[in-house]
Amino acid sequence: MKYIPLIITIFLLPSCVGDFLEREPIIGSVEDNFYQTEADAIAAVNAAYAALQFEMTPGGHFRWFWGDMMSDDTEKGGEGDNDQFELKQLESFQGLTNTEYLQAEWEANYEGIYRANKVIEKVPEIEMNESKKNAIIGEAKFIRAWFHYNLVTLFGNAPLVDHVLLPSEYNIPQNTPAEIWPFIAADLQDAINVLPLRSQYPIEDLGRITKGAAQALLAKSYAYQNNWGDALSVLNDLINSGEYTLAIDYGSIFTEAGENGPESIFEIQYMNASGGNWGRNNANEGTFSNVFQRARGQFEGYGFNIPTQDLVDEFFAEGFEDPRLFYTVFREGDDMGDRGVFTKDATGGFPHDYYNRKSFNSKSEEAPFGDPNPNGGTNDRVIRYADMLLLHAEAAYQTGDESAAKMSLNEVRARVELDPVTASGQDLLDAIYHERRVELALEGHRFVDLVRTKRAQEELGPLGYVEGVHNFLPIPEFEIIKSNGVYIQNPGY
Amino acid sequence: MCLLMHFAASGQTVLLKGTVSGDGDALIGATVMEEDTSNGTTTDFDGNFELTVKEDATIVVSYIGMESQKIEVAGRTSIDIVLAEASEFLDEVVVVGYGNQKRSTISGAVSTVSAKEITETPVLRVEQALQGRTAGVQITQVSGSPGSALTVRIRGAGTVTNSDPLYVVDGIIVEGLDFLNPNDIENISVLKDAASAAVYGARAANGVVLITTKSGSKSSGAKISIDSYYGVQSVTKTLDLLNAKEYATILNESYINAGRAPFVNTRDVALFNEGTDWQNAIFKQAPISSHQININGGGEGFHVGFSGGYFLQEGIIGENRSRFDRITLRTVLGYDVKPWLKVGTNIGFTNLNRDALPENSEFTSPVIQALNMDPLTPVYKPDGTYAYSDFVDTDIRNPVNAIENTYDEWTTNRVVGAVYGEIKLTENLRFKSTYSIDATFANQDIFSPLFNLSVDSTDAPTAERNITNSVSMNNNTWKNWQWENIAMYDKDFGNHNLGVVGGISANLNRHDYNGGSNTNLPSNDPEDAFINNTIDPIASQSSYSGAEEYSFFSYISKVNYDYKDKYLATVSFRADGSSKFGADKRFGYFPAVSLGWVASREDFWNIDAISFFKLRASWGQNGNDRIGNYGYTSVVSTGQNYAFGPDEIITNGSLPLTVSNPELQWETVTQTDFGIDIELWDGKVNIASDYYIKNTTDMLYSAPILGVVGALAPDRNIGEVQNKGWEFALQYRNKIKTFTYELGGNMALQSNEVLFLGGGDPTFSGETFVSGAVSKTDIGHPIASFFGYETDGVFQNQEEVLAHATQNEGTSPGDIRFVDQNQDGVINDDDKVYIGNPTPDLVYGFTGNFQFKNFDLNAFFQGVHGNEVFNASVRYDKIGGNRPASILNRWTGEGTSNFEPRVSLTDPNQNTRVSDRFIEDGSYLRLKNIQLGYTLPASLLDKINFEKFRIYISGQNLLTFTNYSGFDPEVGATGPLDVGIDRGFYPQAKTILGGLQIVF
Repeated sequence: MKYIPLIITIFLLPSCVGDFLEREPIIGSVEDNFYQTEADAIAAVNAAYAALQFEMTPGGHFRWFWGDMMSDDTEKGGEGDNDQFELKQLESFQGLTNTEYLQAEWEANYEGIYRANKVIEKVPEIEMNESKKNAIIGEAKFIRAWFHYNLVTLFGNAPLVDHVLLPSEYNIPQNTPAEIWPFIAADLQDAINVLPLRSQYPIEDLGRITKGAAQALLAKSYAYQNNWGDALSVLNDLINSGEYTLAIDYGSIFTEAGENGPESIFEIQYMNASGGNWGRNNANEGTFSNVFQRARGQFEGYGFNIPTQDLVDEFFAEGFEDPRLFYTVFREGDDMGDRGVFTKDATGGFPHDYYNRKSFNSKSEEAPFGDPNPNGGTNDRVIRYADMLLLHAEAAYQTGDESAAKMSLNEVRARVELDPVTASGQDLLDAIYHERRVELALEGHRFVDLVRTKRAQEELGPLGYVEGVHNFLPIPEFEIIKSNGVYIQNPGY
Repeated sequence: MCLLMHFAASGQTVLLKGTVSGDGDALIGATVMEEDTSNGTTTDFDGNFELTVKEDATIVVSYIGMESQKIEVAGRTSIDIVLAEASEFLDEVVVVGYGNQKRSTISGAVSTVSAKEITETPVLRVEQALQGRTAGVQITQVSGSPGSALTVRIRGAGTVTNSDPLYVVDGIIVEGLDFLNPNDIENISVLKDAASAAVYGARAANGVVLITTKSGSKSSGAKISIDSYYGVQSVTKTLDLLNAKEYATILNESYINAGRAPFVNTRDVALFNEGTDWQNAIFKQAPISSHQININGGGEGFHVGFSGGYFLQEGIIGENRSRFDRITLRTVLGYDVKPWLKVGTNIGFTNLNRDALPENSEFTSPVIQALNMDPLTPVYKPDGTYAYSDFVDTDIRNPVNAIENTYDEWTTNRVVGAVYGEIKLTENLRFKSTYSIDATFANQDIFSPLFNLSVDSTDAPTAERNITNSVSMNNNTWKNWQWENIAMYDKDFGNHNLGVVGGISANLNRHDYNGGSNTNLPSNDPEDAFINNTIDPIASQSSYSGAEEYSFFSYISKVNYDYKDKYLATVSFRADGSSKFGADKRFGYFPAVSLGWVASREDFWNIDAISFFKLRASWGQNGNDRIGNYGYTSVVSTGQNYAFGPDEIITNGSLPLTVSNPELQWETVTQTDFGIDIELWDGKVNIASDYYIKNTTDMLYSAPILGVVGALAPDRNIGEVQNKGWEFALQYRNKIKTFTYELGGNMALQSNEVLFLGGGDPTFSGETFVSGAVSKTDIGHPIASFFGYETDGVFQNQEEVLAHATQNEGTSPGDIRFVDQNQDGVINDDDKVYIGNPTPDLVYGFTGNFQFKNFDLNAFFQGVHGNEVFNASVRYDKIGGNRPASILNRWTGEGTSNFEPRVSLTDPNQNTRVSDRFIEDGSYLRLKNIQLGYTLPASLLDKINFEKFRIYISGQNLLTFTNYSGFDPEVGATGPLDVGIDRGFYPQAKTILGGLQIVF
């Protein structure tokens, strides 16, 4: 049988089967080979930053959905009531518990937390420059705190996730705000201890989380809990650091050139090089906020988040037109950058009198993707120094130091050449509240400000708000179902 | 090689030489016996035999699958014998995994479709030939769009991962069958039970479809066959929608009911009449044609076959924007190099071109747009350009314009080929080595041109203006090689017949992809649509590329044994290693056993009417490895970027997006099958029936995980699914003088149930325009069952609203009453129940063949029963969309309707929530094909030297019996968990065609 050796040879080939069946991914590496070097640590924390940008569903969010649209500052807009009807229901506080925007908001926060936790767990074992390593962990802790801050202010009762969950831990129960706040504070305190000041970062790291950002978010956390003593202390640290000043020209803050300006404390970076952020796991750097809030018609936007007359009236509360109104909204006859003059006809006949100017971008600033690939590059100014000064005023007032309160308040007013406020008592507090609404209009703060200052019932009651129910969004129904009943719906839903 | 056996013979003898052939092929191993003696021989590789016989002897020539013949030698020394194919169903040779078997000796559950059946109904794709013809195989034509894929389910959906069967063409495992021309197919075997499929191991859990293509013939002269047909397709039905006057009435009413003033333009309904029929505007008649030539032949020691085919189908929507053409070229060569060595090759090239329109999308499908576009808007403005609507909401666009501006072209070139060598080592032992390649090169070009339906630059809705044109291109290359080495041993020990197969197989698949896109092209001509052709000042070009691969290594073994064709047994065992799984889980082992008993061959059998009676039982295990290539590990994804610095430098971010699962392994299907094969009255009636229980365990299930995890869910082996069913097939044939008729039918009853999700969560799937998911997969229910509210009529008055559980704030008389299942006084998610099953209980088909003299008539029906369809083709969420005429029966006051709710712009009650309102009975019975043919009589053919000349006319989808209100109840699966949801499928056409078949 002269062929037998041939056959034996062929049947013996399997000796190399092990290698033959070993197929690792051709693109990218596997987790076991990652988290080894300083470059890996930086890439890991960058991926956590990327989660800050997620906007559309699934697993993304717009701060202005909740901050502005659910408040009395704006209404939904769009093409008609049925264009994103879910949002219409949300802003009239009839929101369903199973809408995709709720689900997306929930997922967006936990996606960010997962990414931050990955850094916090893996980076400590990497051999690298210690201070660099600590800073990276500090950045991740800020990001983890930021997403928990969103959860606790929007949903209230949400699970606190302090590590990457194992399958056996998926069904962890919710935590109360009282349990979540100290965790946020601890993360931010850790971040404050290790993060560089803004001035200590090399210029190419502009946009990274700074010590000041951690202080600012901590101050906002204390303020939400009416813990004014601790708020005042951290705000004093922040102000005394000398890292931040008000921009000289209020209008410059919201321009492309004004990004990461002197009063920028925490700013989510977007650029116009590529398409928008379609939610979870999307790697693009552009924002949809520009196109969503631009007028329709020749302005090529979707016309959402329309400023209300009530907001505009606030700018006339002192008997004259507040100079910041011009930089906040477009009125008919205004130039909309290089896109032409705003007339209702030019928007396609929509009845809206105002559009958000703070999120406006000119055509020349936009990457050359057309509809439907929005491509805005406008950074989201999340925390500005003016916000901190006004919070400082509020904290000083609440702790009985009216003169310090007035000093901070008037610093903000002086920038736009308004007379100093001299009132005291409730009038002073009202003046601070007024200043917050006007100074920070359309920057996504209003709803949470109303809820934390217990003014929501008064201001939003006519829109359908019920105190004790609508201070939090409902827990997304699908999450409750998946939790097999471990999650409990927020009261009133 | 000595094959001949000589036996001494007394008396005057002659050395008789000759050949035995059948159906154009030399028959190897045919038995030639001198009658009433033990003197005999078998034919060699070329069908030759030599036998010394008495001058006046009678020889008996027999061969499996052929009618035996008795021939008187009458002193001749040379006789060439042509055997006719056995008409008996049971003697048919059936292709099974790694071998052939006579049907009567098969102990597993195998269904077959012959070339005759395949070409009886002109079909575009091979899968269509299986529809309704094989019990237990459910084929669903997902779409009528030319070139679209079909859903194939063998014995139900066993998994939520991927339930597509494994396709093996001439021994090569291939992905999909789109490259095959149905005319090139000799036969198809469907391995349904686990035991038959187990030789394909880790990939066979969803059943195996074995296809054998036509090969050349070794003897008998060259043969040329030409098949050609041409037909016209048209839409089977149109839906009854509102005309302009009715539409305006309903629109006005919905504004008034929402407390708003109607549009000024629609207030006076007397102004309107019929308006635009948008269905009429998009549906056209479209041609379909096919031309095919086959040339087969051969000679001493070789055989060749060539074929070429061209198929063209235009769509009934969009004409050349939804068209498909296919060119197929095939060559088969076989050469007997030495008596002990045969080599051969077959190679096929396919070129596919497809232009596709969006479909099954509630946003972009032209069908959806034609159904929902208002009848007030004309197709054209007075100036001849396309008009836009002032009334409908976003998404709904002028479908005629949308079609005209869709350029989505797919071009695929695919080469599937193999070379083999077979060595005869001993008389009983053969060794065969086959190397095959399946290479596919596919690219997709999309061009989105500028258009603007505005009268004055910007008055048209955004969707009716494309202000930036763009182009994108996607290229894919799949390369898949397989090397298989098989040893085969066959020996008969008296009455004991043994066949053994053993071998190894290695397989590597690689997929490379790249593509890019760009915008702002200076030209709006699709011919100029290239990525480099842009006027953008900023480089807006984007590109991507990547690759992935997986490998497979298998050990194959199988033993067939029978005793006197009476006691049958097959045992097989396969070990498969797959790179898709982690090192510890890499190999899987798949055993199977099947037994059969042909009781009618027992001596005691004395029921004359039952000429054949066989009982079968089988048990086996298969696997399914259809998951991502690297699921066992967690891949670190790059590109999770962020821009830092004043110059906005994009900086790489990386992380594992998915939780890893090193325990990941294939899913296992364990199937038990009991079957019976009966033949009555010597072949007049054949019956086959099977009962099976098919359990999927370790089901690959990417169960949705809680949002708190923050990462994507990994595939996990956590589910269990059971499919049970009963299959029945019957054939009856008879002949009355010159009238021959044949009736056949098959049916399969099946049930599908999820048994276990490993403590995992139910999956919600099937998003439509209505808020939330339509389908739910959970324990105790069929996969992807419809889940929503049960309706209970319409509130007739305010008392009824108040008396019922609280629904929504604005619920009013005329709104739908949803059942308060838990009786807690509130209608919410807790009141949702299972409202339908998309999988039919019964799938069936029946056919009749009638032949009278030179005329033949064939009718073929096919249907399903007991499934539901979720009709999401009407966009109730869109203000101003058109509606079915049934809305005219809406509630307008107490007692007016208990089914159609009031119309309201704002729909405060959410009458459009997921409910049984949208669930419809999906049962149907369809006359799939009816064909009348005429064949020229033999006397005439001889004169013109033709072997066959037949002309026919054929009608497809001429009749459909159904209660479904949409276009077509045949709604397939667009994913394992997205089944039976109609989002505006491209409806199947009815076709009238005429054809010609010539052989000479």
